[in-house]
Amino acid sequence: MKKFIIAMTALGLLGGAVAHAKTNPAQDLKEFRAYFFKKFPGVPLQEYANGIYGVNESRRVEWEATMEFPPFEPGVDAGQDLYNKYSKHFRKCFGNSAGKGIRQNYPYFDSKSGDIVTLEGAINDCLKKNGEKPLGWKKGKLAALVAYMASTSNGKAININVPNDKRALAWYERGKHHFYSKRGQLNLSCANCHVDSAGGQIRANILSPALGHVSHFPVYRKKWEARGSGVTGGFGTLHRRYGGCNKQVRAKPFKAQSDEYKALEYFHTYMSNGIKVNAPGVRQ
Amino acid sequence: MKKIAILAASSLIALSACASGPSKEEVTPVIESAKAENAAAKKMGFMWRDAGKMIKKAEAALKEGDTAQAMKLAKKAEFQGKMAQIQAKEQANAGPAF
Repeated sequence: MKKFIIAMTALGLLGGAVAHAKTNPAQDLKEFRAYFFKKFPGVPLQEYANGIYGVNESRRVEWEATMEFPPFEPGVDAGQDLYNKYSKHFRKCFGNSAGKGIRQNYPYFDSKSGDIVTLEGAINDCLKKNGEKPLGWKKGKLAALVAYMASTSNGKAININVPNDKRALAWYERGKHHFYSKRGQLNLSCANCHVDSAGGQIRANILSPALGHVSHFPVYRKKWEARGSGVTGGFGTLHRRYGGCNKQVRAKPFKAQSDEYKALEYFHTYMSNGIKVNAPGVRQ
Repeated sequence: MKKIAILAASSLIALSACASGPSKEEVTPVIESAKAENAAAKKMGFMWRDAGKMIKKAEAALKEGDTAQAMKLAKKAEFQGKMAQIQAKEQANAGPAF
């Protein structure tokens, strides 16, 4: 029996090693970019930070007009006020940067805990450690605060590292699997819309390319603005959007900051490495 | 005339049997099965959006005595749970097509 257990454990470890040997984030990134460069010839890498406005001329004209008076500005100011309120805590948690200019490095794999740390997660952890009430994950105050903090990273290239650690590789593979898995009653994956059909239309909307998606989050959406209230009403985090996308294909969404969405964010952000942060973005 | 009366009476009996729908005892296990199928789909990370609502509505309909509606919703939710599990298995090796 003991021999059998040892043999099975060895086989399991071997299986794990084989699975991880197949994981090659750098190669994935190369192929991912190459696909979009072929699909949208002549569109430079940094244009993908602008979502559909980088690949659709008529929508770009509309967006440029919107950006003359960006609707998110009062919300970013509200985010800055919140930042100032908590900055003494952030100095303790984030060191000298106090949380400014760090967006491009999130999410990251924490080798100590084996967990993926998102910026939203790090902020709420910091608030809790300092006796403050954590903020709601998907919208409102936290989204506005992150919008401000992300804006201090504008121009800095996304730089996500997937170390050669089986735990980090497992997070990456989980996110990649979510991204390419068809789900929900409509049987559609993230990739079906944002890779295969990027630039195409779904009803009156243009489907954005997945490359560069994360560079402009949190985003300020006109749809959310209409439903929300106050100057921060239009903001939403990446995980809010993930939930919305899952619902749109009639899949039960996961909770914001769940392991599933943290893994997806890790993979999704890695795929945009090298693209400069351009937050917050305005979207429909 | 007698034949017509017999036919009308038998039609009425048949109609009332249809209107009464399935019994509570018939619906309850289908609701339980729908719950189990969707719990399994959820565990696999592939539960569909509306199945949970359907089960709740089926339970409410059963409570109100509308067993036909309860059965219809429970079967739909049960089907969705089964389909979601098939989907999860089919997507086990999902990856890029390029």
